[in-house]
Amino acid sequence: MTDRHVHGGPECLALFAKLSEYLDGELNPTACAGVDGHMADCGRCREFLESLRRAVAHVASMEAPELPENFKRDILSAYARARGSS
Amino acid sequence: MEKDPDSAALLSRIRVDAPGAFDEFVARFGGRIYAFGMKFCGEREDAKDVLQDTLLTAYRSMRELEHPEAMISWLYRVAANACLMKRRKGKCAPEREISLDELLPGPGEDARVQIPDPAALPHDDAVRAEIKKGVWKAIGDLPPAYRIVLVMRDMEQLSTQEVADALSLEISAVKMRLHRARLMVRKTLEASYAADHRAKGRE
Repeated sequence: MTDRHVHGGPECLALFAKLSEYLDGELNPTACAGVDGHMADCGRCREFLESLRRAVAHVASMEAPELPENFKRDILSAYARARGSS
Repeated sequence: MEKDPDSAALLSRIRVDAPGAFDEFVARFGGRIYAFGMKFCGEREDAKDVLQDTLLTAYRSMRELEHPEAMISWLYRVAANACLMKRRKGKCAPEREISLDELLPGPGEDARVQIPDPAALPHDDAVRAEIKKGVWKAIGDLPPAYRIVLVMRDMEQLSTQEVADALSLEISAVKMRLHRARLMVRKTLEASYAADHRAKGRE
């Protein structure tokens, strides 16, 4: 793909603020088409968008450990104590 | 918002504090709230405190809820508050909003994407563990007011409206903080991989 403009101008900066909405599919069709058009022309913005997409995907893939059984028991005990003292 | 018939039955039992209702409440939501606390706090004991505060507080206050489908968003509201209190201040407002200019790629940043594609990671468990460690650190380094939005939107998959309701923020503020949080994570990861790349180049 051949870039037709120099990266870093006002177009790129304006687009920078919209990238999360673009990734989330929250832009209206006109704005979305505007981003698509810009991406076709600007290799640096394409690279940036891809790095942001990867970062978001990494975050979304992170898993927390399961609730330990002893934590659950402690909470049930705390509730029983609170109930007994009220 | 989630809808299921079991929520209505459980809420009816919670309203009258029926025997076993709290146990059922913990069994139903405990794992989810603990995971949320872990993602935000990063420490088991902190996540345990968040879980305990959330479940005990929400169980009492939930009796006032009119609609069962509001249970989850109410729980997240209480849990988010517990998380932010855990990180002191208890404020949902950052000390200052971070400007987008601070998150633009630097002039010296290599244009090549350095962050590995999560869909094409190596099978080596040690490499994967190292990548995950870096992602957890990038999330943990975020200011709490940004981190809570990122965790709720990108990890818990809540909608923008649900996050706005839980944190008492405008939709525009949720979007703004989510975008900045993502940009900060990207910047941290990109810098980390770029440093690795340079180090390998010197070997």
